[in-house]
Amino acid sequence: MSQRLKQGLLFSSLTFFVAAYLRAAENSPQTVSVKIETILASNQSGEFDSRLKALEKQLRVLKYRSYRLLNEESKNVPSQGSASFEIPGGRSLIVWPQDFRNQQVALKVRLQGGQKPLLDTTIRLPNKGNFILGGPPHDGGVLVLSISANVQ
Amino acid sequence: MKNCDSTRESLGAWLDGELDRAESEAVRAHLEGCVACKEEQRQLEKLQVALKSVLDSEASRIAFPPFWSSVQQRITEKSAWREDLVDWLRSVFSGPRIAWAIPAVILLLLGVLSGDSLVSGFRSFGQRNNFASVESIDAYGRNVALLREDETKTTVIWLYQNQEGEDESTTETRPSF
Repeated sequence: MSQRLKQGLLFSSLTFFVAAYLRAAENSPQTVSVKIETILASNQSGEFDSRLKALEKQLRVLKYRSYRLLNEESKNVPSQGSASFEIPGGRSLIVWPQDFRNQQVALKVRLQGGQKPLLDTTIRLPNKGNFILGGPPHDGGVLVLSISANVQ
Repeated sequence: MKNCDSTRESLGAWLDGELDRAESEAVRAHLEGCVACKEEQRQLEKLQVALKSVLDSEASRIAFPPFWSSVQQRITEKSAWREDLVDWLRSVFSGPRIAWAIPAVILLLLGVLSGDSLVSGFRSFGQRNNFASVESIDAYGRNVALLREDETKTTVIWLYQNQEGEDESTTETRPSF
């Protein structure tokens, strides 16, 4: 085998492995910062919590009269790991990052009531985007969870 | 000193002036002293003369000017791009150059593959804050609603919980979308 042929094959192999590594690295984020904002929505008053200003337009879609931020929690979740968030009423929310591609992060999310699963969903979010999960009754209203993810 | 056999073997080359100086001298010396080989030389010379006259007469019938003008035209005319491409490909894929064609093909394939993600990347850039897309939902037998609101690009999953096993009892579990 000529020297030039050897060099070419070596370069081919390196190109292939570097490309494969970069592609794998792109699809597997190192850490996903997951933020859960727990909001109580009700029709008991016309109060709108000023801390929810950034979410106002999205929350108004739900047509409740009152929105109050109960809790806000952020966790850095490793790509192969999971994080559990406490939700009022003995509930919990568990989040597993799945993959990251095209600036979108896929999350598997489970809402539990005690040890009992209430809902499982897999959702693909734009990076730094959010979605709303609502419905569990709480304290004369309903809980609304804003779940957002930011890949770092 | 050469013998007759070796001299006759070298005779054709000697007549054509293809032998080196020593060999040529040896053949000439043998021919001066050998009648039979001298006769062989004469016969060979006659044959060469006859062949030359035949070839000359045949060649005179061939029209060379059109042939040379055609060759000149082929040299000066610009070759078609397809021929250039074929020549280039042939040079690339011949010999060790093919070794560099392998990474080139890998890079091309990667380009095509990542082109898709690039295109979708541009697409997602154009639709920044686009909808979250729900890939699966399992509410374990409970009713669930999925709302996508265009103006605020909001995706809502609404879980309609029955009151079984829940501490709270409320009439507000149903939103007025």
